[in-house]
Amino acid sequence: MDLNYSPEDGAFRDKTRRWLEANMPKDDLKTLAERKSWHRQLYEAGYVGMLWPQEYGGWGATAMQQAIVQDEMARIGAPPAINGLGIGFIGPTIIVHGTEWQKQRYLKKMLTAEEIWCQLYSEPNAGSDLAGLKTRAEDAGDHFVVNGQKIWTSSGPIADWGILLARTDSKVAKHKGISCFLLNMRQPGVEVRPLKQISGHSLFSEVFMTNARADKQDLIGSLSEGWAIAQTTLGYERGGNSLGRVTRYAIAFHQLVRATRQLKRNGKPLLDDPVVRAKMGKLYAELEVQRYAGLRVLSTLNKGERPGPESSITKLSYTEFEKRYYETALEILGPWGQMMTAREEFEEIDTSSGEAGTWATAFLWSRAGTIYSGSSEIQKNIIGERVLGLPKEVRADRLKA
Amino acid sequence: MDFSFTPDQTLLKNSARSFLDEHCKPATVRLLWDDPRGESPALWKEMAQLGWLGLSLPEAHGGSGLGMVETALLLEELGRAAYPGPLWPTMLVASAIASHGTDEQKKRWLPAVASGDARAAVTLLDSDLDWNPDAVSTRADKTPTGWQLSGLKRYVAWGHVADVLLVPARAPEGVSLFLVDPSAAGIGWTPMMNMDPGTRLADLKLDRVPVRGEDRLGAPGAGTPALLSLLRRGAAGAAAEMLGASRRCLDMAVGYAKVREAFGQPIGSFQAIRHKCSDMLLETENSHAAVYYAAWALDAGAEDAATAASIAKSYVGDAARKVCGEAIQVHGGIGFTWEYDLHMYFKRAKALEAQYGDAEYHRELILRHVAA
Repeated sequence: MDLNYSPEDGAFRDKTRRWLEANMPKDDLKTLAERKSWHRQLYEAGYVGMLWPQEYGGWGATAMQQAIVQDEMARIGAPPAINGLGIGFIGPTIIVHGTEWQKQRYLKKMLTAEEIWCQLYSEPNAGSDLAGLKTRAEDAGDHFVVNGQKIWTSSGPIADWGILLARTDSKVAKHKGISCFLLNMRQPGVEVRPLKQISGHSLFSEVFMTNARADKQDLIGSLSEGWAIAQTTLGYERGGNSLGRVTRYAIAFHQLVRATRQLKRNGKPLLDDPVVRAKMGKLYAELEVQRYAGLRVLSTLNKGERPGPESSITKLSYTEFEKRYYETALEILGPWGQMMTAREEFEEIDTSSGEAGTWATAFLWSRAGTIYSGSSEIQKNIIGERVLGLPKEVRADRLKA
Repeated sequence: MDFSFTPDQTLLKNSARSFLDEHCKPATVRLLWDDPRGESPALWKEMAQLGWLGLSLPEAHGGSGLGMVETALLLEELGRAAYPGPLWPTMLVASAIASHGTDEQKKRWLPAVASGDARAAVTLLDSDLDWNPDAVSTRADKTPTGWQLSGLKRYVAWGHVADVLLVPARAPEGVSLFLVDPSAAGIGWTPMMNMDPGTRLADLKLDRVPVRGEDRLGAPGAGTPALLSLLRRGAAGAAAEMLGASRRCLDMAVGYAKVREAFGQPIGSFQAIRHKCSDMLLETENSHAAVYYAAWALDAGAEDAATAASIAKSYVGDAARKVCGEAIQVHGGIGFTWEYDLHMYFKRAKALEAQYGDAEYHRELILRHVAA
C-alpha cells in the first residue's frame, strides 16, 4: 500500500498544469464551434481519448494519467471536452463490438469531435426497465426502418450520430429481441425536441424516430445481441472520473467556507456557529471519503483491471453524497444558496453538470445523478445480486419468460 | 499509487483472522464478558508470541517495527472478532513511550509489552469529559522526589489489568505526561458496567499519588502534542476495529438474507432487504477507504494525516453504528436476542464511538484544519 504519486505521475501532473495554464481559453466558450475548437486543442495535446488504443487515434495512457488530467482541469476550472458520451463509452463499445469498417468510419471523427454522439437508450416507458423498450427496427432489405421515441438524450440537438437500442424481434423474451445500431441523427426521420429540466436548462432532449433509416452496415454486433452490448456500454459509463469530481466538490467547499465567513448569525460569522461547524466538519469528512474511495478505484483501474459490478458502489456513493452535500450547503446558506444567478463571489461554483452555476443550480442538478446511468435503486440491485450474491428477486416479467 | 495490500500485509491479515477464528470465537468472548477480569491472560500470551503486541515497536526493543497500516489490519480483525482486552491501549502507550521516553523508560516497558509481560492503559478524560488535551485539570505538583498527582480521570479503559498508566496532568509548566504505577498509594478505582461488557471502564481517583521524577514521560509542559498524536493513532485504530465489526455484521446479514425464507422465498430477494445490504456494503467499503487512507497517511507523515485520522474516526463511527444496527434489522427478532452474536459487534462498535475522541470532537478538528 502506497498512496504517493509516482515521480512519473508527478511530472505528468506538472506538465499538464503548465499546458492548461498556457492554453486555457481566456473567455467563456459560447458557440459550438468554439467548444469544438477547444476540444480539438485538448485532443491534440493528448488529453482526450487518453485510454483509447493508439491504433484508433487514442493515446494509450494510464487511468492515473487520465484522472490527473481531469483533476487539473477541475482545479483550474477549464471548460470540459465535448462528446463525453462518445469518447467515454460509445467509442469503446465500437472498439469492442464493432466491425473494422465501423471503426475506420466513426472513431477518429468522434475523438476530434468532428462528429458529436448521443445515446438513444431510455424511453418514456423504459428507464430502469430498459429491456422493456418499444422502439422497433424492421428489416427492409438493405436497411432497417426505425420507429419510436427516446428520451433523456444528452447533446441531442448537436448530435450527428446516436447509438440506438431497438427491438428487432418481439416474439422472444424482451431482452433477447433487442439490437444495437449506429443511427444518423441528421436525417428527415429523426426529430429532436429539447426538454426543459428542473434547473431551467435544456441538456436533455426527446428524440422521435419516424421511418428513420439505419443502414445494415451500422448494426453493432449480431442481430438481437443488443442487450449484451448495452451491458458492456453501461459498464464503461461507471467508474473513471474519480479525482476531478472530488476536486470540484472541494473547491466548492472552500467557497462555502468563504461564504460562512461573510454571512453573519447573532452578530458573528456563520463559520463561528457551532451547529454550522459540526455540519461542515461532517460534510468535509464525507467529501474526503469520496476521494479516498476514488483513489482506491483508481489504483485498481491503473493496474489495467476493468471496472466490474463494484463500480456500482462508486456511482451510488458519490451521487448520493452529492445530494447530501448540496442539501447541507443550502441549509447553511439560507436565501443566498437559492439564487439562480450569482451576485456574490461565493455564489458561483462548478456544478456536476460540468458548467459553472450557483449553489442552487448544483442543488437541483444533484437530483439527476441518482437517476441517470442506472438509478440508485438499480445500482443497489446490481450490488445485491452481483457483489453480495443475494438471490434474484422473483419478477413478473421473468415468470412470463 | 497502490491502495491494495502487499503480500506481507495480506499474510498478516489472513493469519490474524485464522488465529482469532480459532482462539477468539464468539463463545470465548461470551466467557470473557462474564469474567471479572474481562480479558484472557492466555490469549494475551499467545498474541505476544505472534508478535502482535510489539508489531509497531522498534526492533531494538523487541518489536517488529511495522506501521499503522499493519496495525490497522490487525485491529480490523480484532474488531471482527469483538476481542475484549487491553491490546490497543497497551500498544498506544508503548508507542508513546517509544516516541517520547528515555532510554530507561524504553528498556523498562517496551520489551515487557512486546513479550506480553506488561499491559498499559491511558487516561484521556478528566472530570469535565473534554477530549481536548489542553482541558486536563488533574494537577501535578512538584515534590522533593518527583511529583504528586491529584484529580479525577473518567472512563478509563482496562485500567484494572494495567501494569502502567499513562496519565496526563497539569504541571506548572503545562500539560505533562506521567507513567503511573496502578498500585501506588492514593489511587482509587470505581469500576462501572458499560453497555459493551468487552470494554471495561472505571473511574480513577488520584489523591496525592506519588510519581518518581524519572517516571515523567517527555519534557514538562510537552504533553499536548504527544497526546494529540496518541489520539490520532488511537482514533485511526478504533476506526479499524469498528470497520471489522461492520464487516462481521455485514457478512452475517448477507448470509442470513440468503437462507432465511419468508413468503416462500429468501428474504435477500426482496429489494427492501437487498437494498439495505447494498447500503451496508457501501458504508463498509467507504469505511475501508477511510481507515487505510488514514493509516497510510500516519505512516507516511502526510500533510493531511491528522485530518485523515479524524475523518476516519467520525465517518466510520457513524457507518459502523448503521451497518451493525441494520444487520440486527435484517435478522429481525433473532438479532435482538442475547443468544445471537450480533449484539457483540453492535455494542463494540458503539463503545468505540466514545473512545479516542467522539465524532463531534473530531469534526471540529477537521473544520479547524480546512477552514484555518
